[in-house]
Amino acid sequence: MLPSNHSLSGVLQQKGINRRRFLKFCSLMTATLALPPRYIAQVAAALEKARKPVLVWLQFQDCAGNSESILRSSHPTVLEVVLDLFSWEYHELVMAGAGHQAEAALERVVREEKGKFIAVVEGAVPLADDGVYCTVGGRTALEIARHVCPNAAATIAAGACAWDGGLVRAHPNPTGAVGISEAVPQATVINLGGCPQNPVNTAAVLVHYLTFGELPAVDQYSRPLFAYGRIIHDQCERRAHYDAGRYVQEWGDEGHRKGWCLYKMGCKGPQATFNCPSVRWNDGTSWPVKAGHGCLGCASHRFWDTRSPFYDRLPTVPGFGADVTAGEIGLGLTAVVAGATVVHGIASAVRDRMRPMPPAVPPPANNEPPRKG
Amino acid sequence: MAELRKYGWGEAHRPEPAFPTVRVYVWELPVRVSHWFIFLLVIVLSFTGYYMHNPFIVAQSGTTFLMATIRFLHEVAGFVFIAAFLLRLYWFFMGNSWANWRAFMPVHRRQWRGMGRMVAYYSFLRKDLVHQVGHNALAGVTYLLMFTFMLIEIITGLTLYTQVRGKWALGWLFNWVPGVFDIQHIRLTHFCVMFAFFAFVIHHVYSAVLVSWEERNGLIESIFTGYKFVPKAELEEDAVLSKAD
Ligand code: SF4
Repeated sequence: MLPSNHSLSGVLQQKGINRRRFLKFCSLMTATLALPPRYIAQVAAALEKARKPVLVWLQFQDCAGNSESILRSSHPTVLEVVLDLFSWEYHELVMAGAGHQAEAALERVVREEKGKFIAVVEGAVPLADDGVYCTVGGRTALEIARHVCPNAAATIAAGACAWDGGLVRAHPNPTGAVGISEAVPQATVINLGGCPQNPVNTAAVLVHYLTFGELPAVDQYSRPLFAYGRIIHDQCERRAHYDAGRYVQEWGDEGHRKGWCLYKMGCKGPQATFNCPSVRWNDGTSWPVKAGHGCLGCASHRFWDTRSPFYDRLPTVPGFGADVTAGEIGLGLTAVVAGATVVHGIASAVRDRMRPMPPAVPPPANNEPPRKG
Repeated sequence: MAELRKYGWGEAHRPEPAFPTVRVYVWELPVRVSHWFIFLLVIVLSFTGYYMHNPFIVAQSGTTFLMATIRFLHEVAGFVFIAAFLLRLYWFFMGNSWANWRAFMPVHRRQWRGMGRMVAYYSFLRKDLVHQVGHNALAGVTYLLMFTFMLIEIITGLTLYTQVRGKWALGWLFNWVPGVFDIQHIRLTHFCVMFAFFAFVIHHVYSAVLVSWEERNGLIESIFTGYKFVPKAELEEDAVLSKAD
């Protein structure tokens, strides 16, 4: 099933998605991409004209959470429009074909659509022991990624694992897992961090590509700025409580019931960038902080290692185990110094009184005579 | 016990020096100003910074603006701290020989020997102090370490600040840092170094009192007035040594 030539509007009409719903989708995409409203028409026009590009979805060391995330978007238009905008030729989780037949479809895309198709990667790529820890159809993930991604017009790394290795790469990383841009440096990769990634953002990247013919502007991690450009803490609806000094101190306490700030429960909102608070999940119903749980910073670089412990403000100090906080170590150090000072002071006083010093004689005997020259 | 009776527990346990002392202007105004600003700001920054780490006061009324105010104070105090630090940095190059950066660098054998003697003094292996018009070598190295810690606090602090505000020049200067070290580790460093200041302040006040007591050179007063009282011969020797440097 290679790209058909009929346009999107026809397909949508056939599916019973009327123009009103289609324009609603366009305005959602325009808003997500942080474009001014006058772009709605341009987005709509571009999508209507678009000839369906081919898309393949590769799954490596993953939990299928990003696939589930996009399939579970109950907003019918997001899923359907995205599904219909592209000709999905390969997606292990949802495709009907299996075995050699499915692999042949992937092969055909790489061969015939070279430089034109979009690859979405979900999951990390293991490098240890020649990549034996993840194989599909007898080929390692690394082989497949090296074969497919450089031939794609663009590769979208969906989720934390595909971006930077995610959970699979978390310490001690037994399989030597890395993200897709590290495994295949020659591919054009756009990273959509998050555990899972937000389907609205994935759709927005694809829509941007169809509308403007290029990928959106990215940050130093190749993450689109429209989704990862702002700190969660600065968009959070509990921020007023943070500024006022009202904090949840314990799960289920009065502050928690009143919806106060989750800072003291280890919320990583202040050090995470994502558009979670505005785009939200499940058709904009909610997001973790709104639901009463602190942000884990799941869209941050290597967040399993850098944002844990998830229920404490700061990481643990290396070498001190998991149960001691930095504050306890610091206060302990201060106490030790204070104690030592008191002991030293008493000892000095006793010494001086027991064995008083003779009067000092000038010049001080302990300084060296001046050197010549 | 006879000695104890002779000198008693009071002030007069040591005879007054029996040689002429001179009044020397050791700590110039910028040194004292930056010292006291840094002292005050370390207190303000530690209090506000600790609150930002762990908001131990939870507001109950609906009209407070506690964390925002504390954060604001922390940021303002941070910039004043940088100003005080820069003033001291400037005076490393413009000040007298006791304020000069050379006074903090253990580059001479004499300084290393002096350091060994100070360590021996603190561990009760020696009874007499290293007499010095400015800092002794061990104190110099300790201050050098503290200046380094201050610099670390300034860099990590500005890096954290650029995460929220100050995108222009500051952003250009510090936005690369979180790409190299994760922002949580920068935060952890910024927090942990605070305790080094706590430990230092305790030790610093104690040793100043101790040395002032033992040497009777007006050390404590000198950080207010700038003047120390030193034996004449010591001052002459110091002048010769600093010229030799
Ligand atoms: S809940 Fe988290 S993100 Fe929201 S204001 Fe509090 S600390 Fe910031």
